[in-house]
Amino acid sequence: MNTPTDDSNSQLRYAEYVLGVLDADARAEVERDMASSEAVATAVALWQRRLLPLIAEAAPIEPPEYVWHRIRHQLALDASPAVARPADAGTARPRWWNALRFWQGLGLGASLLAAACLALLLSSHKPSVTPPSYLASTITQGNGQVGWTATVDLNHQRVVIVPTRPQAIARDRAPELWLIPEGQRPIAVGMIGGDAPVTLPLDRRLLASFGPGAALAVSVEPPGGSPTGQPTGPVIAKGLLDTSGAAIHVPLASPAHPLDT
Amino acid sequence: MPPHRTPEQNLLDELLAKTASGDQAAFAELYRLTSPRLYGVCVRMLRERGEAEEVLQEAWITVWHRASTFDRTKASAGTWLGTLFRNKAIDRLRQRREQLLDDPELMNHLEDEDPNPADGAEQTQEYLRLRECLDQLQPQQRRAIREAFFSGVTYNELAARCQVPLGTMKSWIRRSLLQLRTCLDL
Repeated sequence: MNTPTDDSNSQLRYAEYVLGVLDADARAEVERDMASSEAVATAVALWQRRLLPLIAEAAPIEPPEYVWHRIRHQLALDASPAVARPADAGTARPRWWNALRFWQGLGLGASLLAAACLALLLSSHKPSVTPPSYLASTITQGNGQVGWTATVDLNHQRVVIVPTRPQAIARDRAPELWLIPEGQRPIAVGMIGGDAPVTLPLDRRLLASFGPGAALAVSVEPPGGSPTGQPTGPVIAKGLLDTSGAAIHVPLASPAHPLDT
Repeated sequence: MPPHRTPEQNLLDELLAKTASGDQAAFAELYRLTSPRLYGVCVRMLRERGEAEEVLQEAWITVWHRASTFDRTKASAGTWLGTLFRNKAIDRLRQRREQLLDDPELMNHLEDEDPNPADGAEQTQEYLRLRECLDQLQPQQRRAIREAFFSGVTYNELAARCQVPLGTMKSWIRRSLLQLRTCLDL
Protein backbone atom coordinates (compact mmCIF):
# COMPACT_ATOMS: atom_id res chain seq x y z
CA MET A 1 0.00 0.00 0.00
CA ASN A 2 1.61 3.18 -1.15
CA THR A 3 -0.06 5.56 1.28
CA PRO A 4 2.37 7.15 3.69
CA THR A 5 0.18 9.29 5.89
CA ASP A 6 2.75 12.02 6.34
CA ASP A 7 2.77 12.59 2.63
CA SER A 8 0.98 15.86 2.05
CA ASN A 9 -0.70 14.62 -1.13
CA SER A 10 -2.24 11.76 0.80
CA GLN A 11 -3.26 14.15 3.54
CA LEU A 12 -5.00 16.31 0.99
CA ARG A 13 -6.73 13.29 -0.45
CA TYR A 14 -8.16 12.38 2.95
CA ALA A 15 -9.22 15.98 3.56
CA GLU A 16 -10.91 16.09 0.17
CA TYR A 17 -12.63 12.82 0.96
CA VAL A 18 -14.03 14.15 4.22
CA LEU A 19 -15.04 17.45 2.65
CA GLY A 20 -16.89 15.48 -0.02
CA VAL A 21 -15.40 16.78 -3.28
CA LEU A 22 -14.07 13.50 -4.67
CA ASP A 23 -15.94 11.56 -7.32
CA ALA A 24 -17.33 8.09 -6.67
CA ASP A 25 -14.22 6.22 -7.83
CA ALA A 26 -11.80 8.31 -5.78
CA ARG A 27 -14.05 7.97 -2.74
CA ALA A 28 -14.14 4.21 -3.10
CA GLU A 29 -10.35 4.18 -3.33
CA VAL A 30 -9.93 6.10 -0.08
CA GLU A 31 -12.46 3.82 1.60
CA ARG A 32 -10.53 0.76 0.48
CA ASP A 33 -7.33 2.23 1.90
CA MET A 34 -9.11 3.03 5.17
CA ALA A 35 -10.25 -0.57 5.45
CA SER A 36 -6.79 -1.97 4.86
CA SER A 37 -4.64 0.53 6.71
CA GLU A 38 -5.10 1.64 10.30
CA ALA A 39 -2.87 4.64 9.61
CA VAL A 40 -5.09 5.83 6.78
CA ALA A 41 -8.22 5.31 8.88
CA THR A 42 -6.68 7.38 11.66
CA ALA A 43 -5.64 10.15 9.28
CA VAL A 44 -9.17 10.31 7.83
CA ALA A 45 -10.68 10.30 11.32
CA LEU A 46 -8.51 13.25 12.21
CA TRP A 47 -9.91 15.21 9.26
CA GLN A 48 -13.42 14.24 10.28
CA ARG A 49 -12.75 15.68 13.70
CA ARG A 50 -11.44 18.87 12.14
CA LEU A 51 -14.22 19.47 9.62
CA LEU A 52 -17.39 17.83 10.97
CA PRO A 53 -18.11 20.53 13.58
CA LEU A 54 -19.26 22.60 10.60
CA ILE A 55 -22.56 20.72 10.60
CA ALA A 56 -23.53 23.04 13.46
CA GLU A 57 -24.29 25.53 10.68
CA ALA A 58 -26.99 23.38 9.09
CA ALA A 59 -30.42 24.54 10.18
CA PRO A 60 -32.23 21.75 12.06
CA ILE A 61 -35.42 20.48 10.43
CA GLU A 62 -37.88 18.21 12.19
CA PRO A 63 -38.16 14.98 10.22
CA PRO A 64 -41.72 13.76 9.61
CA GLU A 65 -43.05 11.48 12.32
CA TYR A 66 -43.44 8.54 9.97
CA VAL A 67 -39.69 8.28 9.38
CA TRP A 68 -39.22 7.13 12.96
CA HIS A 69 -42.12 4.70 12.61
CA ARG A 70 -40.54 3.20 9.51
CA ILE A 71 -37.16 2.84 11.20
CA ARG A 72 -38.79 1.16 14.16
CA HIS A 73 -40.74 -1.21 11.95
CA GLN A 74 -37.78 -2.04 9.76
CA LEU A 75 -35.67 -2.91 12.78
CA ALA A 76 -38.59 -4.71 14.44
CA LEU A 77 -38.09 -2.69 17.61
CA ASP A 78 -40.52 -2.91 20.50
CA ALA A 79 -43.74 -1.04 19.93
CA SER A 80 -43.34 1.30 22.88
CA PRO A 81 -39.74 2.47 23.22
CA ALA A 82 -38.73 5.57 25.10
CA VAL A 83 -39.23 7.83 22.13
CA ALA A 84 -42.90 7.58 22.98
CA ARG A 85 -42.24 9.74 26.00
CA PRO A 86 -40.24 12.91 26.39
CA ALA A 87 -37.08 12.44 28.42
CA ASP A 88 -37.34 13.05 32.12
CA ALA A 89 -37.28 16.72 32.89
CA GLY A 90 -33.94 16.31 34.60
CA THR A 91 -32.16 14.82 31.59
CA ALA A 92 -29.65 17.12 30.03
CA ARG A 93 -30.70 18.06 26.53
CA PRO A 94 -27.85 18.79 24.15
CA ARG A 95 -28.48 22.32 23.05
CA TRP A 96 -26.06 21.82 20.21
CA TRP A 97 -28.54 19.63 18.44
CA ASN A 98 -31.38 21.99 19.17
CA ALA A 99 -34.00 19.28 19.16
CA LEU A 100 -36.47 21.05 21.42
CA ARG A 101 -39.26 21.40 18.91
CA PHE A 102 -39.41 17.70 18.22
CA TRP A 103 -42.24 17.04 20.61
CA GLN A 104 -44.33 19.98 19.51
CA GLY A 105 -44.96 18.45 16.09
CA LEU A 106 -45.40 14.98 17.39
CA GLY A 107 -48.63 15.09 19.37
CA LEU A 108 -47.72 11.76 20.79
CA GLY A 109 -50.26 11.50 23.58
CA ALA A 110 -53.08 11.67 21.08
CA SER A 111 -51.38 9.18 18.76
CA LEU A 112 -50.94 6.64 21.50
CA LEU A 113 -54.56 7.03 22.50
CA ALA A 114 -55.69 6.49 18.92
CA ALA A 115 -53.49 3.42 18.63
CA ALA A 116 -54.97 2.04 21.82
CA CYS A 117 -58.52 2.61 20.52
CA LEU A 118 -57.65 0.96 17.25
CA ALA A 119 -56.17 -2.01 19.06
CA LEU A 120 -59.48 -2.42 20.85
CA LEU A 121 -61.37 -2.01 17.62
CA LEU A 122 -59.34 -4.71 15.91
CA SER A 123 -59.11 -7.06 18.84
CA SER A 124 -62.24 -8.92 17.78
CA HIS A 125 -60.50 -9.91 14.55
CA LYS A 126 -57.14 -10.89 15.90
CA PRO A 127 -56.76 -10.85 19.65
CA SER A 128 -53.54 -9.82 21.35
CA VAL A 129 -52.05 -8.15 18.29
CA THR A 130 -51.23 -4.47 18.62
CA PRO A 131 -51.34 -3.03 15.12
CA PRO A 132 -48.51 -0.76 14.01
CA SER A 133 -49.46 2.86 13.54
CA TYR A 134 -48.29 2.97 9.96
CA LEU A 135 -48.55 0.45 7.15
CA ALA A 136 -46.79 0.80 3.86
CA SER A 137 -47.29 -0.79 0.49
CA THR A 138 -45.65 -0.56 -2.87
CA ILE A 139 -48.27 -0.98 -5.55
CA THR A 140 -46.58 -2.64 -8.47
CA GLN A 141 -47.66 -2.69 -12.09
CA GLY A 142 -47.69 -5.68 -14.40
CA ASN A 143 -44.29 -4.71 -15.80
CA GLY A 144 -42.76 -4.96 -12.34
CA GLN A 145 -42.40 -1.21 -11.91
CA VAL A 146 -43.75 0.45 -8.81
CA GLY A 147 -46.72 2.58 -9.81
CA TRP A 148 -47.70 4.04 -6.45
CA THR A 149 -46.59 3.92 -2.87
CA ALA A 150 -49.17 3.94 -0.12
CA THR A 151 -48.67 4.87 3.51
CA VAL A 152 -51.61 4.04 5.75
CA ASP A 153 -51.76 6.22 8.84
CA LEU A 154 -53.93 4.22 11.20
CA ASN A 155 -53.88 6.84 13.91
CA HIS A 156 -55.26 9.53 11.66
CA GLN A 157 -57.41 7.11 9.70
CA ARG A 158 -56.15 8.02 6.27
CA VAL A 159 -53.95 6.77 3.49
CA VAL A 160 -51.50 8.84 1.47
CA ILE A 161 -50.96 7.44 -2.00
CA VAL A 162 -48.20 8.81 -4.19
CA PRO A 163 -47.51 7.97 -7.85
CA THR A 164 -43.81 7.21 -8.33
CA ARG A 165 -43.98 8.72 -11.79
CA PRO A 166 -46.80 10.23 -13.86
CA GLN A 167 -49.14 7.41 -14.84
CA ALA A 168 -50.62 7.32 -18.30
CA ILE A 169 -54.38 6.97 -17.82
CA ALA A 170 -56.88 7.46 -20.66
CA ARG A 171 -58.45 10.93 -20.64
CA ASP A 172 -61.94 9.78 -19.77
CA ARG A 173 -60.78 7.31 -17.14
CA ALA A 174 -59.38 7.62 -13.62
CA PRO A 175 -57.49 5.33 -11.24
CA GLU A 176 -59.40 4.01 -8.26
CA LEU A 177 -57.84 2.48 -5.13
CA TRP A 178 -59.19 -0.76 -3.65
CA LEU A 179 -58.50 -2.59 -0.43
CA ILE A 180 -58.68 -6.36 -0.80
CA PRO A 181 -58.84 -8.22 2.54
CA GLU A 182 -57.45 -11.73 2.18
CA GLY A 183 -60.01 -14.02 0.56
CA GLN A 184 -62.60 -11.26 0.28
CA ARG A 185 -64.02 -8.96 -2.35
CA PRO A 186 -62.40 -5.57 -3.00
CA ILE A 187 -63.62 -2.58 -1.00
CA ALA A 188 -63.48 0.82 -2.71
CA VAL A 189 -61.12 3.26 -0.94
CA GLY A 190 -61.41 6.20 -3.32
CA MET A 191 -60.20 7.90 -6.47
CA ILE A 192 -56.49 8.60 -6.64
CA GLY A 193 -54.14 10.66 -8.79
CA GLY A 194 -52.16 9.53 -11.79
CA ASP A 195 -49.65 12.32 -11.35
CA ALA A 196 -50.14 13.79 -7.87
CA PRO A 197 -50.30 12.52 -4.29
CA VAL A 198 -53.76 12.06 -2.80
CA THR A 199 -54.84 11.63 0.81
CA LEU A 200 -57.97 9.55 1.36
CA PRO A 201 -59.88 9.15 4.63
CA LEU A 202 -60.42 5.63 5.96
CA ASP A 203 -63.70 4.80 7.62
CA ARG A 204 -64.17 2.27 10.38
CA ARG A 205 -65.07 -0.53 8.00
CA LEU A 206 -61.91 -0.02 5.98
CA LEU A 207 -59.74 0.24 9.07
CA ALA A 208 -61.13 -3.02 10.37
CA SER A 209 -60.22 -4.71 7.09
CA PHE A 210 -56.47 -4.10 7.27
CA GLY A 211 -55.84 -7.61 8.46
CA PRO A 212 -52.93 -9.91 7.59
CA GLY A 213 -52.76 -10.69 3.89
CA ALA A 214 -54.61 -7.55 2.85
CA ALA A 215 -53.63 -5.97 -0.47
CA LEU A 216 -54.12 -2.68 -2.24
CA ALA A 217 -54.99 -2.53 -5.92
CA VAL A 218 -55.56 0.15 -8.53
CA SER A 219 -58.10 -0.25 -11.32
CA VAL A 220 -59.04 2.02 -14.21
CA GLU A 221 -62.58 3.31 -13.82
CA PRO A 222 -64.91 6.04 -15.06
CA PRO A 223 -63.98 9.45 -13.58
CA GLY A 224 -66.49 9.25 -10.72
CA GLY A 225 -65.43 5.76 -9.74
CA SER A 226 -66.77 2.30 -10.43
CA PRO A 227 -70.56 2.41 -10.79
CA THR A 228 -70.97 -1.11 -9.40
CA GLY A 229 -68.94 -0.93 -6.20
CA GLN A 230 -66.55 -3.50 -7.63
CA PRO A 231 -63.68 -2.95 -10.10
CA THR A 232 -65.08 -2.73 -13.64
CA GLY A 233 -61.90 -1.77 -15.51
CA PRO A 234 -58.54 -3.51 -15.67
CA VAL A 235 -56.49 -3.79 -12.48
CA ILE A 236 -53.24 -2.07 -13.40
CA ALA A 237 -51.30 -2.35 -10.15
CA LYS A 238 -51.37 -4.32 -6.95
CA GLY A 239 -49.36 -4.57 -3.73
CA LEU A 240 -49.49 -6.42 -0.44
CA LEU A 241 -49.85 -4.44 2.75
CA ASP A 242 -47.42 -5.41 5.42
CA THR A 243 -49.48 -5.58 8.58
CA SER A 244 -47.09 -7.63 10.67
CA GLY A 245 -45.29 -4.58 11.96
CA ALA A 246 -42.15 -6.66 12.03
CA ALA A 247 -40.56 -5.86 8.70
CA ILE A 248 -42.56 -3.27 6.91
CA HIS A 249 -41.87 -2.88 3.22
CA VAL A 250 -40.20 0.44 2.65
CA PRO A 251 -41.60 2.25 -0.36
CA LEU A 252 -39.03 2.83 -3.08
CA ALA A 253 -40.03 6.45 -3.22
CA SER A 254 -41.45 7.67 0.03
CA PRO A 255 -44.12 10.32 0.06
CA ALA A 256 -42.56 13.75 0.06
CA HIS A 257 -45.63 15.02 1.79
CA PRO A 258 -45.75 14.77 5.56
CA LEU A 259 -48.86 13.07 6.78
CA ASP A 260 -49.44 15.86 9.24
CA THR A 261 -50.52 19.05 7.60
CA MET B 1 -6.52 11.22 23.72
CA PRO B 2 -10.10 12.46 23.38
CA PRO B 3 -10.54 16.20 23.73
CA HIS B 4 -12.60 17.65 26.53
CA ARG B 5 -16.30 17.18 25.88
CA THR B 6 -19.32 19.02 27.21
CA PRO B 7 -21.99 17.20 29.25
CA GLU B 8 -24.20 17.33 26.16
CA GLN B 9 -21.57 15.65 24.01
CA ASN B 10 -20.99 13.08 26.72
CA LEU B 11 -24.69 12.27 26.78
CA LEU B 12 -24.68 11.59 23.04
CA ASP B 13 -21.57 9.42 23.41
CA GLU B 14 -23.32 7.51 26.16
CA LEU B 15 -26.50 7.01 24.13
CA LEU B 16 -24.58 5.78 21.11
CA ALA B 17 -22.56 3.38 23.24
CA LYS B 18 -25.78 2.02 24.78
CA THR B 19 -27.29 1.68 21.30
CA ALA B 20 -24.37 -0.58 20.45
CA SER B 21 -25.47 -2.94 23.21
CA GLY B 22 -29.01 -3.07 21.83
CA ASP B 23 -30.60 -0.51 24.17
CA GLN B 24 -33.71 0.56 22.27
CA ALA B 25 -34.57 3.39 24.65
CA ALA B 26 -31.10 4.89 24.16
CA PHE B 27 -31.47 4.55 20.40
CA ALA B 28 -34.84 6.30 20.48
CA GLU B 29 -33.45 9.10 22.63
CA LEU B 30 -30.45 9.50 20.35
CA TYR B 31 -32.80 9.73 17.40
CA ARG B 32 -34.94 12.32 19.13
CA LEU B 33 -31.99 14.50 20.07
CA THR B 34 -29.97 14.38 16.88
CA SER B 35 -32.38 13.76 14.00
CA PRO B 36 -33.39 17.38 13.38
CA ARG B 37 -29.79 18.41 12.83
CA LEU B 38 -28.94 15.34 10.75
CA TYR B 39 -32.11 15.68 8.69
CA GLY B 40 -31.25 19.35 8.17
CA VAL B 41 -27.85 18.32 6.80
CA CYS B 42 -29.44 15.74 4.46
CA VAL B 43 -32.08 18.17 3.19
CA ARG B 44 -29.44 20.78 2.54
CA MET B 45 -27.28 18.35 0.62
CA LEU B 46 -29.99 16.54 -1.33
CA ARG B 47 -32.35 19.52 -1.72
CA GLU B 48 -35.28 17.18 -1.79
CA ARG B 49 -37.14 16.09 1.30
CA GLY B 50 -38.37 12.74 0.04
CA GLU B 51 -34.86 11.65 -0.76
CA ALA B 52 -33.52 13.14 2.48
CA GLU B 53 -36.11 11.07 4.36
CA GLU B 54 -34.91 7.92 2.64
CA VAL B 55 -31.31 8.70 3.50
CA LEU B 56 -32.29 9.50 7.08
CA GLN B 57 -34.08 6.18 7.43
CA GLU B 58 -31.31 4.19 5.79
CA ALA B 59 -28.65 5.89 7.89
CA TRP B 60 -30.46 5.23 11.17
CA ILE B 61 -30.80 1.57 10.25
CA THR B 62 -27.03 1.59 9.75
CA VAL B 63 -26.52 3.34 13.09
CA TRP B 64 -28.41 0.55 14.83
CA HIS B 65 -26.35 -2.16 13.15
CA ARG B 66 -22.96 -0.47 13.30
CA ALA B 67 -23.09 1.38 16.60
CA SER B 68 -20.65 -1.18 17.99
CA THR B 69 -17.92 0.29 15.78
CA PHE B 70 -18.24 3.62 17.59
CA ASP B 71 -15.12 4.34 19.64
CA ARG B 72 -15.41 7.44 21.75
CA THR B 73 -11.65 7.73 22.11
CA LYS B 74 -11.48 8.31 18.35
CA ALA B 75 -14.49 10.49 17.66
CA SER B 76 -17.42 12.08 19.42
CA ALA B 77 -20.88 10.68 18.72
CA GLY B 78 -21.68 13.90 16.87
CA THR B 79 -18.72 13.47 14.53
CA TRP B 80 -19.46 9.77 14.09
CA LEU B 81 -23.10 10.38 13.25
CA GLY B 82 -22.38 13.42 11.10
CA THR B 83 -19.85 11.45 9.09
CA LEU B 84 -22.20 8.52 8.57
CA PHE B 85 -25.12 10.68 7.46
CA ARG B 86 -23.02 12.88 5.19
CA ASN B 87 -21.48 9.81 3.57
CA LYS B 88 -24.92 8.35 2.87
CA ALA B 89 -26.03 11.64 1.35
CA ILE B 90 -22.86 11.93 -0.75
CA ASP B 91 -23.32 8.36 -2.02
CA ARG B 92 -26.84 9.29 -3.05
CA LEU B 93 -25.61 12.44 -4.78
CA ARG B 94 -23.01 10.51 -6.76
CA GLN B 95 -25.73 8.18 -8.01
CA ARG B 96 -27.73 11.03 -9.46
CA ARG B 97 -24.79 13.16 -10.55
CA GLU B 98 -25.80 13.46 -14.18
CA GLN B 99 -29.31 14.40 -13.31
CA LEU B 100 -28.01 17.21 -11.11
CA LEU B 101 -25.66 18.49 -13.77
CA ASP B 102 -28.61 18.78 -16.11
CA ASP B 103 -30.56 20.99 -13.78
CA PRO B 104 -29.74 24.64 -14.52
CA GLU B 105 -31.52 25.83 -11.40
CA LEU B 106 -29.26 23.80 -9.16
CA MET B 107 -26.20 24.68 -11.19
CA ASN B 108 -26.74 28.38 -10.68
CA HIS B 109 -27.14 28.04 -7.01
CA LEU B 110 -24.45 29.46 -4.78
CA GLU B 111 -24.38 29.46 -1.03
CA ASP B 112 -24.88 32.87 0.51
CA GLU B 113 -21.91 34.60 1.97
CA ASP B 114 -23.57 34.45 5.37
CA PRO B 115 -24.12 30.74 5.77
CA ASN B 116 -26.73 30.63 8.49
CA PRO B 117 -24.16 30.75 11.30
CA ALA B 118 -24.90 28.49 14.21
CA ASP B 119 -26.65 30.35 16.96
CA GLY B 120 -25.27 30.71 20.46
CA ALA B 121 -26.83 27.51 21.71
CA GLU B 122 -24.86 25.34 19.32
CA GLN B 123 -21.40 26.72 19.62
CA THR B 124 -19.25 23.88 20.75
CA GLN B 125 -15.61 24.59 21.35
CA GLU B 126 -14.73 22.66 18.21
CA TYR B 127 -17.14 24.63 16.08
CA LEU B 128 -15.95 27.99 17.40
CA ARG B 129 -12.37 27.04 16.72
CA LEU B 130 -13.21 25.90 13.19
CA ARG B 131 -15.07 29.11 12.46
CA GLU B 132 -12.16 31.15 13.74
CA CYS B 133 -9.90 29.33 11.31
CA LEU B 134 -12.39 29.63 8.45
CA ASP B 135 -12.51 33.35 9.07
CA GLN B 136 -8.81 33.56 8.33
CA LEU B 137 -9.32 32.25 4.78
CA GLN B 138 -9.92 34.48 1.77
CA PRO B 139 -13.69 35.10 1.47
CA GLN B 140 -13.95 33.25 -1.85
CA GLN B 141 -12.10 30.26 -0.48
CA ARG B 142 -14.09 30.26 2.71
CA ARG B 143 -17.24 30.23 0.64
CA ALA B 144 -15.95 27.39 -1.53
CA ILE B 145 -15.23 25.25 1.55
CA ARG B 146 -18.72 25.81 2.94
CA GLU B 147 -20.33 25.21 -0.43
CA ALA B 148 -18.34 21.97 -0.80
CA PHE B 149 -19.21 20.78 2.70
CA PHE B 150 -22.92 21.46 2.44
CA SER B 151 -23.48 20.53 -1.18
CA GLY B 152 -21.38 17.35 -1.19
CA VAL B 153 -20.71 17.83 -4.91
CA THR B 154 -17.51 16.98 -6.78
CA TYR B 155 -14.76 19.41 -7.77
CA ASN B 156 -16.16 19.54 -11.28
CA GLU B 157 -19.59 20.57 -10.24
CA LEU B 158 -18.28 22.90 -7.58
CA ALA B 159 -16.20 24.71 -10.18
CA ALA B 160 -19.23 24.97 -12.46
CA ARG B 161 -21.39 26.31 -9.65
CA CYS B 162 -18.88 28.93 -8.65
CA GLN B 163 -18.09 29.67 -12.30
CA VAL B 164 -14.34 29.26 -11.97
CA PRO B 165 -11.98 26.89 -13.83
CA LEU B 166 -11.56 23.44 -12.30
CA GLY B 167 -7.88 24.09 -11.56
CA THR B 168 -8.73 27.26 -9.67
CA MET B 169 -11.32 25.48 -7.57
CA LYS B 170 -8.93 22.67 -6.75
CA SER B 171 -6.20 25.03 -5.67
CA TRP B 172 -8.64 27.13 -3.58
CA ILE B 173 -9.89 24.07 -1.77
CA ARG B 174 -6.52 22.44 -1.27
CA ARG B 175 -4.85 25.58 -0.04
CA SER B 176 -7.78 26.18 2.31
CA LEU B 177 -7.64 22.64 3.69
CA LEU B 178 -3.93 22.91 4.44
CA GLN B 179 -4.43 26.32 5.99
CA LEU B 180 -7.27 24.98 8.12
CA ARG B 181 -5.15 22.11 9.31
CA THR B 182 -2.32 24.42 10.31
CA CYS B 183 -4.72 26.72 12.12
CA LEU B 184 -6.70 23.94 13.84
CA ASP B 185 -3.71 21.91 14.94
CA LEU B 186 -1.99 24.85 16.59
